Amino acid sequence: MSKLIYFIGVAVLCCLIIMNCHSSKGIKMVLLEVPSDPTISLAIWFKVGSQNDPAGKEGLAALTAAMLTEGSTVQNSYDQILEQLYPMAAGYSLSIDKEMTVIKGRIHKDNLEKYYQLFTQAILNPAFKPEDFDRIKSNIINYLEKTLRYANDEAFGKEVLYQTIFANTPYGHSEAGLIESVKAITLDDVKNFYQTHFTRDNVVIGIGGGFDRSLVRRLEKDLAGLSSGTPTPVPKPSPLPISGHQVVLVEKDTRSTAISIGFPIEVLRGDDDYYALWIANSWLGEHRNSSSHLYQVIRESRGMNYGDYSYIECFPMGWARQFPPANVGRRQQIFEIWIRPVQNEAAHFALRAAIRELQKLVDNGMTQEDFELTKKFLKKYYLHYAPTTEMRLGYKLDDEFYGIPDHLKKLPEMLDRLTLADVNAAIKKHLQYQNLQIAMITQNAETLKQALITNATSPMKYATPKPPEVLEEDKHIETYPLNIKPDNVKIFRVDEMFVR
Amino acid sequence: MMKVFYFSSLALIFFYVTAIARTPEAAPGIFPYQYQEQILDNGLKVILIPMDSPGLVAYYSIVRTGSRDEYEPGHTGFAHFFEHMMFRGTKKYPGSVYDKLMTEMGADANAYTSDDITCYHLNFAAEDLEKVMELESDRFQNLFYEEQAFKTEAGAVHGEYLKGLSSPYFLLSEKLMDTAFDVHTYKHTTIGFRQDIEAMPTMYDYSRSFFNRYYRPENVVLLIVGDINPATTMPLVQKYYGNWQKGYVPPQVPVEPEQQGERTASVTYNGQTLPILCIAYKSLAFDPQNIEMAACTLLGDLAFGETSDIYKKLVLNEQRVEFIAADFSSARDPQLLSIWTMIKAEGDIDNVKNEIYQTISYFQQNLVQDQKLADLKSRLKYSFLMGLETPDDVAGSLARFLALTGDIKSVDQLYATYDQVTPDHIRQVANKFLVQSKRTVVVLKGGQQ
Repeated sequence: MSKLIYFIGVAVLCCLIIMNCHSSKGIKMVLLEVPSDPTISLAIWFKVGSQNDPAGKEGLAALTAAMLTEGSTVQNSYDQILEQLYPMAAGYSLSIDKEMTVIKGRIHKDNLEKYYQLFTQAILNPAFKPEDFDRIKSNIINYLEKTLRYANDEAFGKEVLYQTIFANTPYGHSEAGLIESVKAITLDDVKNFYQTHFTRDNVVIGIGGGFDRSLVRRLEKDLAGLSSGTPTPVPKPSPLPISGHQVVLVEKDTRSTAISIGFPIEVLRGDDDYYALWIANSWLGEHRNSSSHLYQVIRESRGMNYGDYSYIECFPMGWARQFPPANVGRRQQIFEIWIRPVQNEAAHFALRAAIRELQKLVDNGMTQEDFELTKKFLKKYYLHYAPTTEMRLGYKLDDEFYGIPDHLKKLPEMLDRLTLADVNAAIKKHLQYQNLQIAMITQNAETLKQALITNATSPMKYATPKPPEVLEEDKHIETYPLNIKPDNVKIFRVDEMFVR
Repeated sequence: MMKVFYFSSLALIFFYVTAIARTPEAAPGIFPYQYQEQILDNGLKVILIPMDSPGLVAYYSIVRTGSRDEYEPGHTGFAHFFEHMMFRGTKKYPGSVYDKLMTEMGADANAYTSDDITCYHLNFAAEDLEKVMELESDRFQNLFYEEQAFKTEAGAVHGEYLKGLSSPYFLLSEKLMDTAFDVHTYKHTTIGFRQDIEAMPTMYDYSRSFFNRYYRPENVVLLIVGDINPATTMPLVQKYYGNWQKGYVPPQVPVEPEQQGERTASVTYNGQTLPILCIAYKSLAFDPQNIEMAACTLLGDLAFGETSDIYKKLVLNEQRVEFIAADFSSARDPQLLSIWTMIKAEGDIDNVKNEIYQTISYFQQNLVQDQKLADLKSRLKYSFLMGLETPDDVAGSLARFLALTGDIKSVDQLYATYDQVTPDHIRQVANKFLVQSKRTVVVLKGGQQ
């Protein structure tokens, strides 16, 4: 324990000599100085995202941002940029979400000068060449038409869940857009969007690592060359209330069913209740971890699928990462359960099992034993969230988004402060199981619909014997009542998704 | 001038990472950290790498067994399945107890399997090192599970197979390996053939035999990186692993006969996708001191990387493909050098194929520019060094090297061999390996749904 405290102390007090935000010339700066780090991390955050897409041009923010990071500049064609980045093993990446767009780069400080030129030119002097536009747009359309619909049912299911919950709000479409909307975007749309949204009044500069103060001044001065103006604010999305258990089934020729379940919650990072739910959610469904209770019930005891998790913040690309990503800050979050694909015939049972476990948590709360164990787990596990300068810088930008001092610092503090009563009160206040949105990518959707709306018994058939206690519990799960009315089940074909 | 600049920069990186290592002596090769290596009497190789990572440790148990070792018919996918079983615990620490202890430690514990490796990796607070070592050494020596638990886990593996089925790349890889290989175990992918996965619940006895043959100290490398003191850690290793009994039985992996002619296959994807083309050539086994192997790796990037002429032509200028990329790395036994591309129009598949053949022909006839080769060598080194930020980065970067050779020196050897590669070597290997008789071509097309 003493060593752990030592670690935190070292990380916060010694390695990061300066960690501050200040404003000058109107551009907000977030600095994370780590003098021993031989690399420099740059993160240029524009306060724009898919929520800013105009109606009929959904996908415009992402396409515009990609034109900066994957296109030519006034100084260099894109292939010349690739040539110059190549020997440095460097590049710049783009993170775009509903509200945040961050252009990131990391470079060894010896190569900073050359890299700096390329990086800033990408942001300040995009050439907006038609050939780059055609290439990027074509890739995005292919992603929406084919990859997202067919190549990864888990991604498909999650996207359907979010789009259904946030239908008719600025969060109601994928960052990549909608198919015909992307097709309708013109190069002039992109140029105009860049002028009005990628502005010096709408940018935050993040710098981390072993940088020199002169870099701060230089970047601030150079980015002041962006056009001015503040985009029209987008109101926080107000998703419609969910009544009962609402289901969207997407009919697809598939052997397994991907399931996502969720509902909006009014809790954000920084709220005390956020940290209480962090503990409860870790117990119920810690991402990709066998400590997850859902994982224990559905995978470990029954071998039904690869994993089962839950979330209180958006966690994109969960199949490709172990820890929460930075820079997906949102003013409206949902509580989400992710059931990885189960065999089609087990889908109804898996859905019941997950909702039943949620109900047990809401009705009974956590036990003292589970609470203590989960706190113990998180106290060390959170250290893995941001082991590098680049990742800590990402968290600092998120702090700025949420208007909080230091999320990573608050995590262990709240573990010490919160009581079981606090956590169980937060569960009661924010979680529920009566009103849920459910998304399932499945085969024979009509048959499943009939089973769902009639609350038909859904016995599990195992290929292998199971212990008596599991079989006993199955009797409760297979008849667990869901509240699904016929009008609350909508069936779509694959080609009806991601269109207006 | 450019070349001098980049290499002087590299020298500075060496200086930095060496300086932060616990023993600040000059490192002789690219790998910047000092390490301590010891082979226990039972054959277990132990590598300890202290680094400046206050409070954090990465702990990798690298089993030099992967799907390559599944040589017995009907048992494909077993190395991966076995990886799952390793989390079922021992009599002393049953799976539920193991999970609870890992939870208490807040450890990030996971594992992966591929063709040549099964790797168990944990990240945790340094104060928990001895407890982790006790648990890890226990499960490697005393794994115990009932037949019922075994059968249940088979269901989870089946679920993993199902979740991968929607990927066209999975389908194409499966067809590629099945077509390119006749007898070698690379014929099947790591997840295994579907019929074998479905039969897994019946193979409890075989699973015990698998453990007894392959999970032996001579076949494992223990790699511990981070906030550790080798002087106190090595005795702990001796204490917990010293009694592990020898008994490794090498797999009888069949030798693939030399391919005598081009092979082709096609596969239809049950969904919509743009066509994907894969062109692959039989290669040679991983050997960090083999200049031909090193030259092959470089050739892949020079000919088909993102600064190659064909990339500029097909991806950027004519925009006929979504991407083109090559994987010219090597495996423990001779495997494949493969080129992958997604083509925008089905009618253009043959033309793109010919563009690829013309590129190969160009590299067979011409010498690559010195500067291009120097840039690539620089890129490889920067890429390796910039990816060593955390203990997990370091251990993760070394794991495959250790699985392939068992020797950490192979890292320095490989980068030293890269340095010796000349434009002549590149041309030679293009002529020797990228030939029609060693080629397998697979096309995947979308179905109608």
